Amino acid sequence: MRKSHYAAMLAVGALSLSACSSGGGGGGAGGTADVAKPTVQQITLGTAADSQGPAPAVDGAKKGGTVNDLEQSDFNHLDPGQLYVSNQQAIAPLYSRTLTNYKVDPKSGKTTLVGDLATDTGEASADKKTWTYHLKDGLKYEDGSAITSQDIKYGIERLYADFETEGPIYVQTWLSGTDYRKAYQGPYSGKDLPDSVISTPDDKTIVFHFQAPHADTPYAMQMPNISPIPKAKDTKQKYDLHPVSTGPYKIETYNPGKSLVLARNTNWDPKTDPIRDAYPDKWNFEISIPDPGLTQRLMAESGQDKYSLTLSQSANPTQMATILGDPKYKSRTVNQYQPFVDVLSINTSRVKDARVRQAIEYAFPMKQIQQTLGGEAQGEIGTNLMSPTIGGYKSYDPFDKVTHPNGDPEKAKALLKEAGVSNLKLTLAFANNEKWQNFATTLKNGLAKAGIDLQLQALDLTSYYTLVGKVNNPYDLYRTGWGADWSNGSTVLPPTEDGRQVADGLPNYSHLNDSHVNSEIDRINAITDLKQQQAAWEQLSEYIVKNDVPSIPYFYDKFFQIYGDGLGGVTYNQNIGVINANTVYVK
Amino acid sequence: MLRFLVRRALGAIVILVLISAVTYFLFFALPADPALLSCGKNCGPQEVALIHHNLGLDQPIPVQYWHYMVGLFVGRDMPIGHCDAPCFGFSFANQQPVWDIIKDRYPDTLTLAIMGAAIFLTIGVGLGLISAAKQGKLFDKIASGVSLTGQSVQIYFIGPLAIYVLADQLGWLDHGHDVDWAHNPVGSITGMLLPALVMSVIFWSNYSRQTRSLMVEQLSEEHVRTARAKGMSSRYVFFRYALRGAMGPIVTIFGIDLGSVFGGAIITETTFGLHGIGQLAVQAVLQTDLPLEMGVMLFGATAIVIFNVLIDASYAFIDPRVRLA
Repeated sequence: MRKSHYAAMLAVGALSLSACSSGGGGGGAGGTADVAKPTVQQITLGTAADSQGPAPAVDGAKKGGTVNDLEQSDFNHLDPGQLYVSNQQAIAPLYSRTLTNYKVDPKSGKTTLVGDLATDTGEASADKKTWTYHLKDGLKYEDGSAITSQDIKYGIERLYADFETEGPIYVQTWLSGTDYRKAYQGPYSGKDLPDSVISTPDDKTIVFHFQAPHADTPYAMQMPNISPIPKAKDTKQKYDLHPVSTGPYKIETYNPGKSLVLARNTNWDPKTDPIRDAYPDKWNFEISIPDPGLTQRLMAESGQDKYSLTLSQSANPTQMATILGDPKYKSRTVNQYQPFVDVLSINTSRVKDARVRQAIEYAFPMKQIQQTLGGEAQGEIGTNLMSPTIGGYKSYDPFDKVTHPNGDPEKAKALLKEAGVSNLKLTLAFANNEKWQNFATTLKNGLAKAGIDLQLQALDLTSYYTLVGKVNNPYDLYRTGWGADWSNGSTVLPPTEDGRQVADGLPNYSHLNDSHVNSEIDRINAITDLKQQQAAWEQLSEYIVKNDVPSIPYFYDKFFQIYGDGLGGVTYNQNIGVINANTVYVK
Repeated sequence: MLRFLVRRALGAIVILVLISAVTYFLFFALPADPALLSCGKNCGPQEVALIHHNLGLDQPIPVQYWHYMVGLFVGRDMPIGHCDAPCFGFSFANQQPVWDIIKDRYPDTLTLAIMGAAIFLTIGVGLGLISAAKQGKLFDKIASGVSLTGQSVQIYFIGPLAIYVLADQLGWLDHGHDVDWAHNPVGSITGMLLPALVMSVIFWSNYSRQTRSLMVEQLSEEHVRTARAKGMSSRYVFFRYALRGAMGPIVTIFGIDLGSVFGGAIITETTFGLHGIGQLAVQAVLQTDLPLEMGVMLFGATAIVIFNVLIDASYAFIDPRVRLA
């Protein structure tokens, strides 16, 4: 998953210049006072009963009012087929429903994956290659017309069109292979996807025929682009400005880069919806609000800002000390894990000796880097390639980073000696803004204690991921990151660690190509039991970190933000790493 | 006069073409690939090639530039649909027509420019005139100090400070928000007052110092002394002779400043979260959005060039000695 483009670039320039970004926080002293350790709610698969509406009520909640959402960056797209980055995923449930989705219990915060449009999370064939979904009764678009299984098929067919380039590609590739656009050119070619790929035996049933087993299909079906599109209303690219609503709100006005207003969709039936309480009458989004002004407005909550929040962006790091230091803010803050992990990628095409990579790992100053990135509230020292939010998360620390958070230069020196390396000089590329300048300097000082001379190479902010994403790039080290798309390592390790996926622009930034890892990826992908698969990914993750050291995970990103006191029911969706808009109400 | 204007207009067009070419070709000197911003997670070479094709980036750069320039005058058929003249293309980021985006953003910039210019011209020239009239006196010294301070501070410093004090704490002024002349004309003015006041500080400080200096110089000119010797009143000499002589340079600076703010006040708009042309410029650069960059750049450059031509033309009215040969 990606975080939003523009916010990141304005604030820190690295959250999501490309597919891999994560981040959060920024340069400056992060507060550490009174930071409670967030609880991780392992997600579970819900039953058909869990999938029935209405959504569980929030204590004390009432209907009505307008929620103001302040956004640093534009959404850029509203077409469900184009949604992917975190601020898009945060608002998608308000106007768009998918086959499955996350139901967050407003009391406990427990998250369950349930059927949204579908009656449950799906019926699989024994080989997990064929998945059947039945639609609920009473599902309607904003114009009152019925939502059918053919509409969902049509929505997926649209994803094959050449202009749909920004959304997730899981379902398309599972159905038609990695070169799926060659197999089918989309509905505008005048053809449908054959029944052997997706069939709709009746208006309420849709059957997916995948080329290989996919145990985590229920999760893939909650991605925002698995959504119905009415063929008669499809205006191709122009659909982006005003998609037809299937959720509790419809788009009243959208002015790209400026504002978005969502008003009630009277044809949405809460009895069909187990996820959305939809208490407010309206959602009013102010877009392109610069930070730290945005955070300061939420802190000051003057006027209408009392009813304001921001769904997907963490608080500006310059305000962290104030927010954490003043107890009056505590009752209106959210601080939880995100699915993103920051790593220092080591270019294994250049730093070939694993002992040298291990030496860098030992010398890496975790604690100092954490402080540089905004302190404990913005992220926790992390040693796993996958976030604690991932199903089956396993804590491992083969290089004793938690017990030696300042680094272990002596061990690093010993390893370098063993490798026969002296006067080691490495080039660190970093995006040239304050946050990553501080990061680079802190890392240089830390590695210097182990005798590693880091040459700092500042790169233009907008070019960073283009340059480090090139396979023949001239840098030894560079910071990248990754976020899981759902609670399984299948969305983390295959894209980032598969040696057969080394090409310009692809997220295997370290260029790791370990035959054992490659074969394990194939083996684990074919496991049909989800829990077994999750455990296997965690084992493989540990193997990679311990033996290959292609990158150094150092930071489990956290979401930290403040919201106006006039709002209640502010829960959190840790699977996306954003505030859960479905339970919010105006006091 | 007409010949002069035609000649200057032709020169302006040449300048704009050169600016467009430099901007366009420099964009491609950057190693950033705009396709990455329109690409999903596993953005491999195939997807990048498809997006390059969609955006027209798979053609040679001179061909792309030619199509762009032709589109400005006659419109273009693009993969996303037809784009009417003046066609600035579609934004890479959100696929909206750039011209529509600029038209939508311009009311903020225009309002800020007009209000800001009215404030900085009135305060700046007014302070400068009084200081010149009261040379060496307490008012002059205080005004000089204030002007120097005003010129030294930056909008990104006084902007947040002004918001905190004048809006948050005292509640005297609005935070600053977009104009909406159709539905809220009063709010459009009050919402732009604080940004205009803050923006004007760095300008009026300059005008105050310039005006004072020019007026002091003019007041010591021989024709002014002669006028006084002829028995004309000090007030008459001050305004009729000295001020008129000082007007030329002030109008020149004013024209250039006005052209700049009409092209977008980047820092002020960003500080106050105003959705104007300046903020759009920042967005375009950060998103490596070439059509938007080109649109904003050409729009701003056109504003500056037009105001320069107008300044030149205005000399004839201010100073009859100027001959438009």
